[in-house]
Amino acid sequence: MLKVDDINVYYGNIHALKGISLEVHPDEIVALIGANGAGKSTTLKTISGLMRTKTGSITLMDEDISHTDAHKLVAKGLAHVPEGRRIFLQMTVQENLEMGAYTQPGYVKDGINDIFERFPRLKHRKNQIAGTLSGGEQQMLAMGRALMSKPKLLMLDEPSMGLAPILVQQIFDIIKELHDAGTTILLVEQNAEMALQIADRAYVLESGRITISGTGKELAQSDSIKKAYLGG
Amino acid sequence: MTFISNLINGISLGSIYAIIALGYTMVYGISKMLNFAHGDVIMVGAYVSYICTTSAGIPPILSVVIAMAVCTVLGILIEGLAYRPLRKASSLAVLITAIGVSYFLQNSALLIWGSNPKTFSSIVPFDSIALFDGKLIITAESIVTVAICIIIMIGLNLFTKNGKMGKAMRAVSEDKDAAQLMGINTNFTISMTFAIGSALAAVAGVLLCSAYPVLIPTTGSMPGIKAFTAAVFGGIGSIPGAMLGGILLGIIEIFGKSYISTALSDAIVFAVLIIVLLLKPTGLLGKKINEKV
Repeated sequence: MLKVDDINVYYGNIHALKGISLEVHPDEIVALIGANGAGKSTTLKTISGLMRTKTGSITLMDEDISHTDAHKLVAKGLAHVPEGRRIFLQMTVQENLEMGAYTQPGYVKDGINDIFERFPRLKHRKNQIAGTLSGGEQQMLAMGRALMSKPKLLMLDEPSMGLAPILVQQIFDIIKELHDAGTTILLVEQNAEMALQIADRAYVLESGRITISGTGKELAQSDSIKKAYLGG
Repeated sequence: MTFISNLINGISLGSIYAIIALGYTMVYGISKMLNFAHGDVIMVGAYVSYICTTSAGIPPILSVVIAMAVCTVLGILIEGLAYRPLRKASSLAVLITAIGVSYFLQNSALLIWGSNPKTFSSIVPFDSIALFDGKLIITAESIVTVAICIIIMIGLNLFTKNGKMGKAMRAVSEDKDAAQLMGINTNFTISMTFAIGSALAAVAGVLLCSAYPVLIPTTGSMPGIKAFTAAVFGGIGSIPGAMLGGILLGIIEIFGKSYISTALSDAIVFAVLIIVLLLKPTGLLGKKINEKV
């Protein structure tokens, strides 16, 4: 589904990603874990075309997308829920969802019904300005908005950030549901424990390099991971 | 009666400022830059209409359409050639470029059309209306100007509220990266914003010169600066704000001219701006946006 091969990304002089390679197979949940500043979000931004790699290649469903404009990738089946949600705060909930279906004009109505079924709280707030939603609702809106493009691969950047534990559990349940419905997921999380529970496979990023990779279970039991990320 | 007459003149002049201010505010909203060349697009629009009617004998209404088309293309070219390469540059570099484009347009006009003032004949084919035994005279230009301004306002509101492109513009205004992740082509959307703003500038140019018929290469600069003031006054980035700011500014200017001093009228306009900004830094209808970290 997605193959990232030896990418090097720079912010000016700062070498943020140092030869990252990873793969996501169809129907998998792959987690990318690591500390702040390890390069997790940069990896996602580079995949979705908001940043460019100097070397290597990114392949989405057998097509090289390393030089494709970000806005063209949505129609190819890639959706990215960015860090901090980045919903359109001055637009209504409904309008945010409509924007999500920008490349799927025929799907607006059905899509919105589908999202409202999945996230009933959004339905009650559909004409409310998105900036007035709570953090959890904003995260749901961000995920709903991404789903409106009917993605084949959904990339989620820190969906649990800043949420109460009960909401975190809810968000992870939704991720599992989406996965069961046939969406492939690439998940970036600081909450390594939760991420490893649902991930088929995971990569650990440390200062721009992938240091460990394996199945979710393996990593959850590895001593070095426990020490570094799981507080044990 | 003079009061009502002044009020009508003020609203009419203000409507022209409002139409120009819409261009400023839309472009600022989407690209966070002040397009100081916007005033000179007005001048180009007026010249195109003038040439069409005087040299080519084209009917006035059609000449406005041609002027709008020319300005639309001009707006897209200015954005693509001058501003797009600076999308990631500092705002100071963009500002200086905009001033450069402004001088470029003025001097090109000087080269093409010369420095002699042209007498623009009004495109409005109706006579003035005299009320109360001729004590109150309303020019047809004022009525047409206000009517067009209202139509533009309603049209733009519908477009940005309901149109797909209009919503995309709002999305790009708010967050370019997130808009791209929705599949919105931000460059195209910004181009379209410049196109709409410039087409409106052409309309404003023709209306301005119909009311104040002297056309020279710097015709657009003062109304441009006033409209910019109007946009800031109303709250830059806000479409209703541009409208309100424009009309208030027109009224203040005409009242200042007739009740205080003709020479000081511009100073009064800018003094009001300074006072409003001191009291309400985001303008009358501007929203304070807290930047989240």
